[in-house]
Amino acid sequence: MSTFPTTPEQPMPAQARTATVIMGRQDFLSVLLRLTGTELYKLRRRAMSKVLGIIGVSLMILVFLLISIGELFTLSNPAPLPPQCSQISNPQGPNNPNGVPCLDHSPTQAEIATADQTKQDQIRALSSPLRLPFSLYVAVQVLNIVGLVLLVIVAGTIVGGEYSVGTIRLMSTRGPTRVQYLLAKVGAILFCIVVGFIFIVLIGLVVGALLNLVSGVPTDTAFVSNGGIGHMLLYALLAMLGLFVYSSLALFLGTAGRATAAGVAGALVWWVLESVLGTVLVLVSFVVKGPVGDFLKAIPDYFISNNVAALLQNQSQYFVGFPASHLSNLHALLVLLVYLVLFLGLAVFASIRRDITN
Amino acid sequence: MDDNSPQYDSNTIISTSRLTKAFGNLVAVNDLHLQVMRGDVFGFLGPNGSGKTTTIRMLLGLIRPTAGRAIIFGMDNAYQLPAILQRIGAIVEMPIFYPYLSGLDNLRVIAAASGMVSGPANDRRLAEVLEIVELRTYEKLAYRKYSLGMKQRLGIAAALLTDPELVLLDEPTNGLDPAGVFEIRQLIQRLSSLGKTIFISSHILYEIQQVCNRVAILQKGNLVKQGNVDDLMKRSEQIEIRLNREDETLYAQKVLQQAQEQEATWITQVHIQRNRQNQSLLLVDAPVARSAEVNALLARQSLYAAELHPREGSLEEVFLQLTGQTAQNGAGQHGGMVALANPVQPVQQHMMSTPEVPNGKRDTV
Repeated sequence: MSTFPTTPEQPMPAQARTATVIMGRQDFLSVLLRLTGTELYKLRRRAMSKVLGIIGVSLMILVFLLISIGELFTLSNPAPLPPQCSQISNPQGPNNPNGVPCLDHSPTQAEIATADQTKQDQIRALSSPLRLPFSLYVAVQVLNIVGLVLLVIVAGTIVGGEYSVGTIRLMSTRGPTRVQYLLAKVGAILFCIVVGFIFIVLIGLVVGALLNLVSGVPTDTAFVSNGGIGHMLLYALLAMLGLFVYSSLALFLGTAGRATAAGVAGALVWWVLESVLGTVLVLVSFVVKGPVGDFLKAIPDYFISNNVAALLQNQSQYFVGFPASHLSNLHALLVLLVYLVLFLGLAVFASIRRDITN
Repeated sequence: MDDNSPQYDSNTIISTSRLTKAFGNLVAVNDLHLQVMRGDVFGFLGPNGSGKTTTIRMLLGLIRPTAGRAIIFGMDNAYQLPAILQRIGAIVEMPIFYPYLSGLDNLRVIAAASGMVSGPANDRRLAEVLEIVELRTYEKLAYRKYSLGMKQRLGIAAALLTDPELVLLDEPTNGLDPAGVFEIRQLIQRLSSLGKTIFISSHILYEIQQVCNRVAILQKGNLVKQGNVDDLMKRSEQIEIRLNREDETLYAQKVLQQAQEQEATWITQVHIQRNRQNQSLLLVDAPVARSAEVNALLARQSLYAAELHPREGSLEEVFLQLTGQTAQNGAGQHGGMVALANPVQPVQQHMMSTPEVPNGKRDTV
């Protein structure tokens, strides 16, 4: 018997497997893609994913239905003519310029036309969120809240669930590295974000467009010609980035806490705390003046939610005309990038370093 | 030579050197030198808490050793774990699968994770392994609805999925009924006949004795003994003699003890014990093949045995001898099989460890 100076170049030759075992490619990317497919297969087979999907779609439809209520209400009412002066106590007149405008005669054709125009303007304004480009803004805002909660649940479950259930032990003895497993989960989360986002936003846009048909107001396609489409696509991509940052937070917390609850609850608490803390810090900065106040006021500029909101706001100005954020795109992107690197890096570190016991 | 270098030849599948794992102050596995050869059915014995599962976890890379190294298929598992794991099928403790997936879907997931092609290409293999563990009928049933035995069998199916060279089974018969245990034993023998190397950990000694050709006995994280099962069991062979009278028994003991000091050095010990009928029995620790010679030694002194029984050794006795446990606190009947319980007595580790020889070698039987 000799001492074996083990080096990577001296593995024992592998025995042939039985013919019914068909192995796939074993390079890093092929293994990663196969594992991502496996993660998606597991998600597809879970009742939870279907329930979350249904909740997302239902809430999106519900929001557009609620928006359309104002439009439908206005449509169902007659054109808003001023009331007859004889019917009100404080009619406007030469001696009473501050009184309520009213008609002291039967409405003329011109007055009826003005009232119709006013009604049409109201309908146009109320139905505006049902039409592109504003409907995209609405749909993304809905997904920024609903989608975030749903994706955090998905991310926390697919990572923390492996520890909670105990399947991590089984999967870790099958060959792929822990980094590959974690990256596969990141890939599955990304897939869910992109597909889920596109699917639910499209449903929102379609439902909005259908409800808008009732108003009879055509979609103004001016945004197509002045580069709005590009900004809308960028807007959607940046919204997905925001969701991915929060999902990565859930992934990291699920890995670190070795439980679904840690991932889901941790990320949601973080999200809520950001807005609470942001408000508190701004209020405190009004009281505490000077450099300390400025410092406190600047802290929320480094929160995830504020930077995601800034990115979205900076794009939405091009197609819905809202003012730009005080935070630049570069600042927001850098802050989010730091968070992403931190969350994913720590998740990989925790995953690699830890002992897998009970 | 580096003390940390495991002993290796071309047939060594697993070789560990000074493998140690400590959880804080608790040393779960201490300075372990194991050697498993190709084609072995290797039993890894020890009471609960002796470090069996910790060792298996270190071999599979689930936990990092505090010290030492493990070479599997000629590769260091600290650096080449993925390549090693591709050639291993393993169950670590009670196998746990995804509860919302069926048995078949669980195997599909495992197959993809094990490097097998996804999709229907491997359906035949999935069917094969489900057939082996007799779960075809329940393949579409959700895992959460499986009984304990079915879960264990699915674990074995998962371990066999890639037709691995080394099958590592940690307590594979946990939760199985006697028929299930018998099936697993047959399966192990079948796998062994196909040239697979089997590493099986258990605290059920009878089970190991039935299927293994080599064993390692672990206690409190220390390797107590490692070697061939037949050789180990020879150590506990006994010849049981009953003489008609009490005084004859006492005289016979003296005769054999004298013989032991002179020509019959193969006698290890001679002692008297009472049976259930309160009769004195003379127990001679000696190879059963020497029964006739023992009889002749007694006959030379005009002592004639009323009964003489050669008693085959058992792993249980070997274990008790090696660990210094008594039958009461060390072993008991468990589910129709002899099972080790947690030792009650403090263990004198150094006395029980096999002697250390230069280069980190331990004696093997």
